[in-house]
Amino acid sequence: MEFLTWVEQLSFSTWIRESGSLWGYSLILTLHTIGLSMLVGISFALDLRLLGFGKDLPIGPFERYYPLLWIGFWINALSGVILLMADATTKMINPVFYVKMGLIGFAVWNVVIIRKRMFHASGGLPPNARALALISLTLWVTATTAGRLMAYLGPVAGLQQ
Amino acid sequence: MHLSLVQWDATAKWLQTTSIAFAMRDYPWLWAGAETVHFLGLAMLIGAIGVLDLRVLGVAKQMPVGPLHQLVPWGIAGFVLNLITGIMFFCADALQYSHNIAFQFKMLFIALAGFNVLYFYVGGVFHKVEALGPGADAPFNAKFVAASSIFLWFGVMYWGRMLPFVGTAF
Repeated sequence: MEFLTWVEQLSFSTWIRESGSLWGYSLILTLHTIGLSMLVGISFALDLRLLGFGKDLPIGPFERYYPLLWIGFWINALSGVILLMADATTKMINPVFYVKMGLIGFAVWNVVIIRKRMFHASGGLPPNARALALISLTLWVTATTAGRLMAYLGPVAGLQQ
Repeated sequence: MHLSLVQWDATAKWLQTTSIAFAMRDYPWLWAGAETVHFLGLAMLIGAIGVLDLRVLGVAKQMPVGPLHQLVPWGIAGFVLNLITGIMFFCADALQYSHNIAFQFKMLFIALAGFNVLYFYVGGVFHKVEALGPGADAPFNAKFVAASSIFLWFGVMYWGRMLPFVGTAF
């Protein structure tokens, strides 16, 4: 807890949280939303195709979207760390945060598995393509839900006053 | 002009007395649930529309445009989810939202994105890109529409996120 307090009191963390600058907390939150839309959005599109929507679409070219999916991931990893630093003592003791991290871990792992199975395999789609797509959709929906609920459940940053 | 503003405020105040507004204020889980749906809708919209915009711009060029367009209904579904949840938020706090500069910009960007979609379909752009097969380059005005789409929807997200930070804070 001492360490978390130290992180939260760093001048950078304090500036992000309290400066009121549009380049601070609000910009980092915006980046976190834009990264989400790239990461989860592109995953959604791929999952829909794997589930059988847009059947005439070839799977192969979808791989070209992966770099943008990863850019979305890294935008959110970085903006997420900054948001965490700004409210370390509240977020790190919120169980919802750990649920979110676990779900994102599995979701990203699943994205990597889908890429290996769908694009590096010869022949058509493997039989478990639909299952992997459903797992992916479920994980991203629950991860996004957990992220949103961090603002409402458990110790919530910014509402103590 | 002044009168219409007064009428607008009266409408906003009336919206705040509707049962949906009471429900949104009385049940915190309803607000939290609507926020969650709003974010999932956003991901659906950007996902389905974004992959099409990117293809038109030249990313994943081996993708034929016609079939990619089959994902667009999912983007529309995402927009409808966000329209419904958005109206729920607005009713709950109509006066504050309508006087918030970020909200006004958000609505402006949504309107511009709407005109962009209109131009895409009615202006003949869709007709031009629909037949684009693997590897085919889109014409300049189609690329312009695609780039505008990404810019405007990211702008909508920016202004949405700014709501609690600009102007009337809530």
